[in-house]
Amino acid sequence: MKKKRMQITTARVLSNIFLVFIILISVIPFVWIFLSSFKTNAEILESALSIPSHWSFDGYISAFKLSPLHKFYVNSIIVSLFSTAANVFFVGMAAYVLARFEFRFKNAILLLFSVTLLLPMTSLIHPVYMVIRKLGLYDTKLGLILVYAALGLPTTLYILRSYFLSIPRSLEEAAYVDGAGFFRTYVSIIIPVAKPGFATAAVMQFLMAWNEFIYAIVLTNTQNNRTIPVALSYFTSQFSFNYTALFAAIIMVSIPSIVIYILLQEQVVSSLTAGSVKG
Amino acid sequence: MKNRGIWITVFLLPTFAIFMLIYAIPTATVVSTSFFSWRGFSGEMQFVGLANYIEAFSGDSSFHEALTNTLVWILLQSTVHVTLGTVVALMLAKKPFIWKLVRTSYMIPNIISASALAMIFLNVFNPNFGIVNSIIRALGYKDFSINWYYDFSTAFPTVTVSWLVYAGLVTILVLAEIMSIPESVLEAARIDGATDLQVDTLVILPMLRNIIGTCVIVSATSMLKEFELIFLTTKGGPADLTLNLPLYLYKTALIENNFGYANMIGTVLIIMGIVSIILISRMFKLGSSDV
Repeated sequence: MKKKRMQITTARVLSNIFLVFIILISVIPFVWIFLSSFKTNAEILESALSIPSHWSFDGYISAFKLSPLHKFYVNSIIVSLFSTAANVFFVGMAAYVLARFEFRFKNAILLLFSVTLLLPMTSLIHPVYMVIRKLGLYDTKLGLILVYAALGLPTTLYILRSYFLSIPRSLEEAAYVDGAGFFRTYVSIIIPVAKPGFATAAVMQFLMAWNEFIYAIVLTNTQNNRTIPVALSYFTSQFSFNYTALFAAIIMVSIPSIVIYILLQEQVVSSLTAGSVKG
Repeated sequence: MKNRGIWITVFLLPTFAIFMLIYAIPTATVVSTSFFSWRGFSGEMQFVGLANYIEAFSGDSSFHEALTNTLVWILLQSTVHVTLGTVVALMLAKKPFIWKLVRTSYMIPNIISASALAMIFLNVFNPNFGIVNSIIRALGYKDFSINWYYDFSTAFPTVTVSWLVYAGLVTILVLAEIMSIPESVLEAARIDGATDLQVDTLVILPMLRNIIGTCVIVSATSMLKEFELIFLTTKGGPADLTLNLPLYLYKTALIENNFGYANMIGTVLIIMGIVSIILISRMFKLGSSDV
C-alpha cells in the first residue's frame, strides 16, 4: 500500500512538472514580447533577458506614429462587429427555419450548408477574390464583412440550429394562436429565448473575424481597409528596425482576443466544442 | 399559417445567397478552371485537360516539396499533436491545483491571431536578440548563434514547433468529454483496484474514441489551411524547404497570376480534405456509438 502511494505521488509530481512546462511554452513567448514592448530598441537588441529599465509606452506611441495603426484598429473593429452581426442575424434566420419547419429540399439545403465546413478555405482564395472584384467590393470593408460572415456560416448554423431545436415548440404555438405573424414570432419570441446560443455563435464569429489574415491580405490593398493582423506584416516590411513598435503592435493585436477568451471562456469553449464536433 | 412558404424562403435567402457567392460558385470555379491554362488578368482561358495536374505531379519540384511537407505536417499533427493534447487533458482531468491555469494558458497560442503568433515566433527565434538563443547563450554556450528560421537544418522543425506543441484546442475538447464521464464509472474501476494509469488507459481512453477522432480530423485538416505561420516567418524557404500547398497556391495565384495552375492546387487541397475526413472517420468509426 505504501509503495503504491509512493508511485502515485511520483507520477503526480512528474505530471505537475510537465504541466508547468506546458504553461511555460504557452506563456513565455507572449510575456517576453509583452515585457520587451516596454523596452527601448537598444535594450531589445542588447539583451533579451533583461527587464525593461523603465516602463515606457514609447513603443506604443511610436507604433501609432509609424503606421496608421489607429486606422487598422478601427477597420478591424468595424469589420469584426458588422460581420458578426450579419452572420448571426442571417444565419440565425436560416437556422431557425431549418430547425423548425418541413419543406421541400430541406435536407439538401442543410447538407449543402454543412458541407462548407469541410472546405479548406485557403483553396478558394482566387475565385473568392474574383467574386468580390465582380461585385465591386474589392478593397472595401463591405467585401471583408461579406466574406467573414460567410466563413462563419457552418459553425453559426450548427450552434444556433441545435439551440433552436432545444426550445419547446409550445412557446411559438402560443404566439401564433395569439395572432402573431411569422417574423414577429421569430424576433420577439425566439431571439430572446435563444440569446445564449446567439452569444456563443457571436463570440466565435468575432474572434475569427478579428484574427483572420489571408482573406484580409487578398481582398484589400490600401490602408483604408486593411485590418490589424495585416498591419503586422506591414511593420516587418517598413519598420523592421523598430522592434519596440512592432512588439507593441503584436500586443495590441493579441490583447482583445485574450481578454475575450478569458472573460467569455465558457462560450468560447462550448462553441469550439460545437464547431469541431460537427466536423 | 398564411404565407409560411414565403417566409421560409425569405429566411433562407440571405444565407443561401452568401453560400452561393462565397462557397458554391468559388468551389465550382476552382475545380473547373483547374483544367484550363489561364494566366494573367487579361489572359485567355484555354482548355488543357489534365495538363496542370500532369505538370504538377511529374515535373514541378516546388509542388512536390509543398505536397510532401503538407502530408508530413498532416501526419505529425494528427499523431503527435493530438497525443500531446490528449495526455494533457488526462492530466488535467485529475484536477491538479494548477489545472485551470494550464487550461487557460495552453489556449493562448490558439486563440490569438495566427499572424500575431507568427510575429512572436519570428522574434523568439531571432538569431541575435531572440529569447531562445539568449537562453542558450546564458547557459554557457557563449557563441551560440543559429538562425532558426533560415538555416537549412533548422527551418523545418522550427516552423513545425510553432503549431505542433500548441494542442490547447485538443486538450479543451478532450477534457470536456472526460468531464462528461459519470464519476461512478471511474469510482467503480478504482474500487476494483485499478491504478491511475489503468483508469486512464483502460477505462477513460476507450470512451474518448469519438472525440479523439474528431480532434484528429480538426488537426489534420488545419494543415490544409496553415498559412500565416509560414508566410510571415520563412515565406516557404530556405529554397522550398518549408513550402506548403496553401502558400504555394497563394504565390501561384497572387504573385505569378497563374490562375489555372493555382486552382489545380486548390482542387488538390479540397480532395485532400475530403479524403482525410473519410479515412479518419473510418479509422475511428466516427458516428457509431460505443455500445
